[in-house]
Amino acid sequence: MAGQGVQRREVLRILGTAAAAAHFPGFSKWGFACGHIGNRTFEIKPAAYRPQFFTPSEYATVERLADLIIPGDATPGAKEAGVAEFIDFMVANTADVQHRFRMGLAWLNARSEQTLGKRFLELTAEQQNALLEPLGFKDKARPGEEDGRAFFALMRDHTVIGFYTSEIGYKELDNPALRFYSESPECPHKDDPEHRHLPPPNL
Amino acid sequence: MAKTIYDVIVIGTGAGGGMTIKTLCEAGLRVCALNAGRRLDPEQDFRFHRMPWDMKFRGFDDPKRRATSYGYMDNEYTHAAWDHEIPFTVAPGTQWMWPRCNAVGGKTNFWGRSSARFGDIDFRAASLDGYDVDWPVTYSEIDPYYTRVEKMIGVASTVQHRPSNPDGTYLPPFKFRCLDFIWQAGCDRVGIPYLPDRCAQLTQPHQGHPACHYCGECTTGCDVGAFFSTPYFFLPTAEATKNLELRTDALAKNILVDENGQASGVAYMDRKTKQEVEVYGRAVVVAAGCIESARILLNSKSRHWPNGVANSSGQVGRNLCDHLYGESARGYLPQLIAQPSFPDHVADSTIAWMPRWQNLKDPHREKFIRGYSVYPDGGCTEFPWYARHLDGFGSSFKREVKRRYPSPVSFGIQAPTLRSANNYMDLDPEVKDPYGIPVARMHFAWDDNVLKMWEHSKQACADALRAAGGVVEGVGHSPEIPGSSLHETGTCRMGNDPGQFVTNRFGQTHDVPNLYVCDASVFLNCTDKTTTISILAFSLRTSEHLIDNFRRGEHTAA
Repeated sequence: MAGQGVQRREVLRILGTAAAAAHFPGFSKWGFACGHIGNRTFEIKPAAYRPQFFTPSEYATVERLADLIIPGDATPGAKEAGVAEFIDFMVANTADVQHRFRMGLAWLNARSEQTLGKRFLELTAEQQNALLEPLGFKDKARPGEEDGRAFFALMRDHTVIGFYTSEIGYKELDNPALRFYSESPECPHKDDPEHRHLPPPNL
Repeated sequence: MAKTIYDVIVIGTGAGGGMTIKTLCEAGLRVCALNAGRRLDPEQDFRFHRMPWDMKFRGFDDPKRRATSYGYMDNEYTHAAWDHEIPFTVAPGTQWMWPRCNAVGGKTNFWGRSSARFGDIDFRAASLDGYDVDWPVTYSEIDPYYTRVEKMIGVASTVQHRPSNPDGTYLPPFKFRCLDFIWQAGCDRVGIPYLPDRCAQLTQPHQGHPACHYCGECTTGCDVGAFFSTPYFFLPTAEATKNLELRTDALAKNILVDENGQASGVAYMDRKTKQEVEVYGRAVVVAAGCIESARILLNSKSRHWPNGVANSSGQVGRNLCDHLYGESARGYLPQLIAQPSFPDHVADSTIAWMPRWQNLKDPHREKFIRGYSVYPDGGCTEFPWYARHLDGFGSSFKREVKRRYPSPVSFGIQAPTLRSANNYMDLDPEVKDPYGIPVARMHFAWDDNVLKMWEHSKQACADALRAAGGVVEGVGHSPEIPGSSLHETGTCRMGNDPGQFVTNRFGQTHDVPNLYVCDASVFLNCTDKTTTISILAFSLRTSEHLIDNFRRGEHTAA
């Protein structure tokens, strides 16, 4: 089947398979029309999100990590997009990553206490970043932290998926799927087919 | 009550079944069509412009359902349209994925829309390179059917004069995007063609169907029918003749035969009542999809046909071919970094393609025979899948994801396997589906020839990307699992020798003249092109042959 696109397969690989059922009361930061428009099972948004899988302290750590991975800066970040809710929801429904998340968060706190004497959430932003940099940047990797790097990669994959499938994430990229077109859209630089003389990027 | 005898029973409503149903009904034959699933309601069953954040699982579907899903095309938007109830098994060592949309219209609801004609380079491949046998038809025989099909469904492309790709009659092509111009220049430098694909997506209103609105959500179903599918294009025409009775949730079990061993109808399982029902006809057309059609024939054992109906050759289920799919190379185009976003996603990966360029003049020039095609994909797609290959985190990471958004590139190979005695399906002797029907058992492995194409494509795509000024970030490490392309062919091959082939050159089975096959199972192999438009062309031809046979009085006996 041509016309497949790689993105969805790529994401499915990250999200894995198999899961446990979970009763789900709804999200606070992103609503969903709940599957089918006609089936009238709209969810009611609760005032505060109640984590389905993570403990309150784990959840706070996930929310903080997501915010460090995709921070709010000139544009909104993971926290504004409710990425922690998405991650909790997906992990609650994906049995085979639950252990990896739980052990990874435990690893992070153990590392934090071992090197700085405090749990991760009690560190300053600078300390948190310093702890994460060897996990997230290839050229800063340190031997002995393989488990931490594997967890951080898992956490980052989930953050990326949660963020860029949110409305905030679509707007961040100016995702063209937000628009319709009356004609087949055409390259605006046909006088420069190799695109060697485009206006300089503004990012 | 006297039993109803229809003129023709058609099993399946996808490309082959839909074309057959329409053609027969228009000719005045009374048709009973059996479809294994229900009718879809686009508003309920298609994406219908719902965004990921409108969906509970952001469109990726419930993980616990995903264990039984078919990957990318079977997702939260479309899950309910795919069949997850009928299992299949694999022989030791075989991997296979078998996505089946059993809803009315079958896979045409979600298909990839690439619509290149087969040519004599395909039909006469055996004469050219000595492997296997030629098709029992020539291009000049099939050409007019392709032309009529293109007129019916609307295909956007250009006349290209490619030796491996006969030209047809086309709607205006999709316009090239920035990345198409860049890739085209790179491909030119390394001698690879880069051309508009043949895309069955309406770039202008056509035959009463509206033009595309370029939302890019085709593979989750079109809410207005701006690309060909049988529920939008054929079935309403057929129903308007009043000659069609369409039975849904009717899972075909076996072909019924009379005392002479000729087809007299079909036994099916009503999936709602769980009861077996029989329906009778003067002729039967099997169009359930390559593997399912073979399963039905093999499960039709009788005194006359102890190995399955129309299987005196022993070839039903054999000769299975498939397309190897995989990402040959990926990378990015630095020229486009940090440029404004552009709607690159409006036809998925079927705006342009790199049609077969190997072994055109000398069939043995490469280390493999035959050839493959490549679909380029990239630019601003719905999800920034390249992000996981970027380093780091924080504002610098977020910025880099945005900068890279217009630039990523991926090349997907479409490479045919060769016919092999080792690749086939049969009935599992032990496992039955929930309706008591033996399930299909798959025996399949990629052959050396197709794996050589895969290796070749990695180098070729990386070379083309570099020549376009792009940066190669990876070449494919493993293909998708077999079955991923949904292009399986060959389980009821057509040919002139009844000892070697299941059907004659018109798709009529040698053993049972009132039993026809109208899907890709009659194809001798899968070529480097997609299957749908050829299923349509061959089914049109078979249907008209069937009508001629009715007119000649060959299928009148009740």
